Amino acid sequence: MTVADTPTPPAPARQTGASLSWRQFKAILRKDIVMELRTKEMVTSMGIYALLTMVIYQVALSQAGTAFDPRDIAAGLLWLAFVFTSMLGLNRSLVHEKDQGCLEALLLSPVDRPIIFFAKAAGNVVFLLIVQALTIPVFAFLFLQRADQYGGDLWMIPLALAGGAIGIAGVGTLLATMSVNTKGKDFVLAVLFVPLMYPLLLAAVSATSAAVLGGDGYVQQFWSSMALVAAYDAIMLVAAFALYEFVIGA
Amino acid sequence: MTQAVAAEMLAVQVRDLTRTFGARKALDKVSFDLPTGSFLSIFGPNGAGKTTLVKVLTTLTPPSDGSAKVCGLDVVEESVDLRERIGLISHNPLLYPDLSAEENLSFFADMYGIDDAANRVRELLVAVELDHRRLDLVRTFSRGMLQRLSIARALLHAPEVLFLDEPYSGLDPHAVEIFDSLIAQIRADHTFVMISHDLAKGLELCTHALILARGKVVLSAPKEEIDEAEFAATYRATVGTGVA
Repeated sequence: MTVADTPTPPAPARQTGASLSWRQFKAILRKDIVMELRTKEMVTSMGIYALLTMVIYQVALSQAGTAFDPRDIAAGLLWLAFVFTSMLGLNRSLVHEKDQGCLEALLLSPVDRPIIFFAKAAGNVVFLLIVQALTIPVFAFLFLQRADQYGGDLWMIPLALAGGAIGIAGVGTLLATMSVNTKGKDFVLAVLFVPLMYPLLLAAVSATSAAVLGGDGYVQQFWSSMALVAAYDAIMLVAAFALYEFVIGA
Repeated sequence: MTQAVAAEMLAVQVRDLTRTFGARKALDKVSFDLPTGSFLSIFGPNGAGKTTLVKVLTTLTPPSDGSAKVCGLDVVEESVDLRERIGLISHNPLLYPDLSAEENLSFFADMYGIDDAANRVRELLVAVELDHRRLDLVRTFSRGMLQRLSIARALLHAPEVLFLDEPYSGLDPHAVEIFDSLIAQIRADHTFVMISHDLAKGLELCTHALILARGKVVLSAPKEEIDEAEFAATYRATVGTGVA
């Protein structure tokens, strides 16, 4: 039987409404995760970059002497690594949509643009959390080898990292969409990303610092910092939700 | 092009459509009508505004001025509803290379909310003779296979109007044959708008033809009103004017 002999099937029944939006969200997220599992582009490049950063920290701090306590700057070092690492990965999340015109095909479908944003941002949160999970043990091994070096509560660290990852993914997905069509997209993303990240970075470093250092009032410092992280995440997600239709159509 | 046709019978209705990029007018007051069930071939030199016109009609680019309706729906105001009723086959496959043929179609079936997606995907893979390669990654496909899968993707949601943006670009003769037979099979149920640089192929397929140059309509007519030799001369002269 040839192609011409094969009848094209009749029109299918279609789903609509909120259940369709949920189905579209899951489909985009699943597609991004399946593609990343196959190519390992984002997690590999981000993971290696983060680990190399840890090694560089170790070399740079090796001459600091015994009086130097790495816990004092541990939170800052970690977030420095995560911010630069995430910039590397976030660009990739949109670049593969541009390949072969896939973004065009996605935009041609009857999907509300904010659904695309939330699905892409959720995927980026997953990838950032994986990189963080790979990096933290290495960081602890290099700089915080003794259990008594943790002054706060260990469970606070993943909470602070997850809160920061949501903010990074939200802002980063929006900015990566804006910069994907520009010539110097890495530069554009960095120039926009770092200033916008500043409030989140301050709060996330403060929360992580409380978790690592402990001390008087560390629980209060942790929760007040986490409240700022949550407020930043909420504001940025709402802003991205409102702007995404314009940004992705530009 | 078809002023006598009632508005409800029109698949595409374009009025004074203008699209600017900075100071440059990619489309300059373009107007035409296309009756339902027709096949419009759009010709013109590179940079004439053909792809911009298709992008506006498929809701991918908003117009700067004027209006356009496809299937009676405004491309700006009713874009989400319109997207359910149109499909695009481009020289780009618009498929994810790191997903299999089946995964690609299933993904787009989810995007269009198609019920019983697995069955629909299988039916279309059989229709384009790619069922035996359904589990293979799209990056391993030949250009012809990509184009067949592209047709399956575009037909998933049974669109009423199909836009073809230089669909023959890069196809070998056998792939052209297969592509032609697929188009012939769905011809009766769809309206087509095709961008082409191949005058003979475009005129062979079309019921209506349009030449664009520098963002303006140079010639627009139903095929029965076209003198092919005269049309070819106009086309050559237009191409000779170069990029818009």
